[in-house]
Amino acid sequence: MTALRMKDTFRRGDAVTLTVEGRCVMAHRGETLAAALLAAGMARLRHSPRDFSPRGAYCFMGVCQECVVRVDGVLRQSCQVPVEDGLVVELKGSL
Amino acid sequence: MSAPSDLAIVGGGIHGATVALFCARAGMKTVLFERGSLCREASGVNAGTLTMQMTRVALIPYALQAHAMWASAREWLGHDVGVVVCDGLSLAFTPREVELLSFRAGKRREAGAPIELISEATARAVEPGLGEGVLLAGHCKVDGYANAYLTGQAYRAALIEAGVDLREETPVSGVDREEGGFAVQTAAGPVRARRLVLAGGVWLEEMAAWLGIDLPIKVLVNQLAVTERVAPVMRTVVGIASGLLSLKQYPHGTVVIGGGWQGKGDRQRGGAELVPESLIGNMRLACHAIPALRDARLARAWAGLEAETADALPAAGPIPGIPDAYVCGSVHSGYTSGPYIARLLAQRILGQEPTDPLFPIDRLLASPAASPSPSADAGRATDEQPQHV
Amino acid sequence: MTPADLIVVGAGPAGAAAALAASEAGLQVVLLDEAFAPGGQIYRAPPQPLSVAPTARGADDAAGDALRAAVAASAVVWTGGARVWSISGAFRVDAVTAAGSESFTAPRLVAATGAHERLVPFPGWTTPGVIGLAAATILLKSQGMVPGRRTVVAGCGPLLAAVAAKIVAGGGEVAAVVDLAGPGDWLKALPRMASRPDLLRQGLGWALKLGAARVPVLFRHMVTGVSGGETCETVTVAPVDAEGRLTGGRSRMFDVDALAIGHGLVPGCEIPKLLRAAHRFAPEAGGWTPVRDAFGRCSVAGLYAVGDGAAVAGAEPARLSGCLAGLAAAQDAGRLPADVFAREAGAARAALDKALVFAGAINRLMRARPAMVEAIAAETVICRCEDVRRGEIEAAIAAGAREINQLKHFTRCGMGPCQGRMCGETAATLLARHVGSREAAGYWTGRPPLRPVPLADLLGQFDYADIPVPTPAPL
Repeated sequence: MTALRMKDTFRRGDAVTLTVEGRCVMAHRGETLAAALLAAGMARLRHSPRDFSPRGAYCFMGVCQECVVRVDGVLRQSCQVPVEDGLVVELKGSL
Repeated sequence: MSAPSDLAIVGGGIHGATVALFCARAGMKTVLFERGSLCREASGVNAGTLTMQMTRVALIPYALQAHAMWASAREWLGHDVGVVVCDGLSLAFTPREVELLSFRAGKRREAGAPIELISEATARAVEPGLGEGVLLAGHCKVDGYANAYLTGQAYRAALIEAGVDLREETPVSGVDREEGGFAVQTAAGPVRARRLVLAGGVWLEEMAAWLGIDLPIKVLVNQLAVTERVAPVMRTVVGIASGLLSLKQYPHGTVVIGGGWQGKGDRQRGGAELVPESLIGNMRLACHAIPALRDARLARAWAGLEAETADALPAAGPIPGIPDAYVCGSVHSGYTSGPYIARLLAQRILGQEPTDPLFPIDRLLASPAASPSPSADAGRATDEQPQHV
Repeated sequence: MTPADLIVVGAGPAGAAAALAASEAGLQVVLLDEAFAPGGQIYRAPPQPLSVAPTARGADDAAGDALRAAVAASAVVWTGGARVWSISGAFRVDAVTAAGSESFTAPRLVAATGAHERLVPFPGWTTPGVIGLAAATILLKSQGMVPGRRTVVAGCGPLLAAVAAKIVAGGGEVAAVVDLAGPGDWLKALPRMASRPDLLRQGLGWALKLGAARVPVLFRHMVTGVSGGETCETVTVAPVDAEGRLTGGRSRMFDVDALAIGHGLVPGCEIPKLLRAAHRFAPEAGGWTPVRDAFGRCSVAGLYAVGDGAAVAGAEPARLSGCLAGLAAAQDAGRLPADVFAREAGAARAALDKALVFAGAINRLMRARPAMVEAIAAETVICRCEDVRRGEIEAAIAAGAREINQLKHFTRCGMGPCQGRMCGETAATLLARHVGSREAAGYWTGRPPLRPVPLADLLGQFDYADIPVPTPAPL
């Protein structure tokens, strides 16, 4: 579906549709939100609170807190959120 | 050996550091000992609240003076402690809390705190972030908060500028009385001074014992928590009638949640452990008061020690029977009132008449000969409360 | 409140082995992990229904499946999706799960929470598209994704080749592999790496794959900057000496949309720190490590620390250290006869000693290089959460900060939601230059929550009237 998803070596789940900043983004069940957003070309997920500098997922394992976004209005670490059909995502952190 | 100092202070919290600052500025050769770094215990890890609505009635006049000092810290301290002056609210959600609030706010008002009882609608105009179900609120315009963790940095710079011989990372193992003063024992040998102030917070009991004084000090283990930075959810200091909530959002966005819920710890271990139920109880109160907090994430929680004397009023004054020896500290809600009470003691040490009475410790000593001080009496008189409270 | 004989936090190779060994010996074991399936980072399972095609399965996939099958077949009570936020007493563990906040109690606790990556800051390191080497392996192995269309893979250690080879195999492009170590460093490591012929063979396989794909490998180079606004656009690299100091040699630039970079691993010993166990600074183990006996027992009675979360050594030593702690917990609980304990623990200990030979060679390659930290520019951000720069940290040290928690007070460095995991090593290294040693600089005091947790998740359902409010302070 995009350049980042490996083609032959993985079997993917059904396609799901997320709404990210009002735009439709396709992903596959089994993917984390952070990975799906990266694959959709959305590396920037939020801004840092003091300098407002752009940030994206760094560790993908729940440590760095850089991938926090709002999922259905709730702050979530996107690397820990499995994608689901209909998720509404705002690329905005806690502040 | 160098000449003895005019003044040795043991303990580098708000109290010790403030006494040192004013005495050094008045020309005394002052040495301050701190076993760790300045203001890293109660003075640095407390909630930073500068409120009248959680202050003991007998301390209200002192807290009002201290509030003015905090608000002008840049002038007299010379450094920023992140003080914000704002409105404060104490909320009542139940009839019992209404009764408690009415009684307590009334007593504090009598003591000089400008607290008004206001309706839910008025309270909501003051603090739009309030949750539902407020029956009554105490409103005080003299409120606010400091950034407690900046205290040490600010005082450190001020003390150095004032010429205080600042000895951090210097534990004191004892104090001996000797001709013309005291010998403060450190690993590097004794340091001599003509006058002595013990300002050890919860460790004041051990310090007093160096001089054969039995001054019992209770240890409270206050839990505190802070969220990550969030968009504005509130603009005032918010508490509840029982005093078991203190809540405010700093300009950078974090919300500090306290209220004196007890964790586990002691003098030896410090605030060693948090009690999850207490933390959850405290968070529930907080989110009940300011519902938007529910969406915030808890970033960190900790427990800090707070000292309390038998009557929960300060120990600040001369040590009976030992000329030129003083204690300062163990002030309930001491962060709010500390600078003023310590300045009063500095006035006394400098031979001036303190602008308000001190809190002599005679009343707290085990010896039955000790007679209560006028200010301690004032404190007791206000302890009367409704029977069921 | 669920009682057990043993709680294990972390279900990677170390935690799973501890749980299995203790369970085998008859202990009732609760195994908790934030992930929805056991395996840890190294054996992280692709979340269902994502799966590796049968033809593409590798050794790690098989090992992970075996681990998961063993846990499933055992009496271990597996609780996935559990975010442990508090550990108190001896011992009570509070975790946020799908069911809300749950409590577990046991007289013994194994901390097996794994390592996190060390990354020495450089200009642009906060740019989206810059990810960790371990992050890249997670994308590659459990998400079936390459980090970018064109990626620079940089840092040190065997993950460089692993990540680069997997990107190539996955159809991505690797612009360059940028290795802090030189060929001589790798040659020096070879004899000890030969103690694990299987891993050595795997590594050579990666190297061959990179050679076949004509991926340039720049030895003794490091990344000096990333430019780009909302995403990584250009990575600049330059030659360094053995300690990571720039030699002044020619720098090179690569136009890429991703940089996968890591400078080694740091033990994530937050649980022993929270419980006030004694620690020592052990650079060879990745940093601060809990003081342990040969079986993983910490200075706090009933607490065991295992795996990379205690001392960085890799998967097989982690498994063996977990096994030892599981046996020790059973022995300490009086559930394992001394002769059985001696036999089984003796075998595991011997295997661990052997496995540590390989780990020693790898850790040498992945060692911290303080010269890189010293060279960080004043305006470079150290603390990502709070945007605290090197210059502010130096100013705080000049203002009298002598210890890492005091530095935190002075600057807010480490006060953000990552809780100092990203900046702690760098900040402490900077402070140590002024106070003499990492020991003097200290480490962050352990505090709950172990990870940031939404207040809503802690509250549960409640009525205001039912909140157990303690007695008010005197008036």
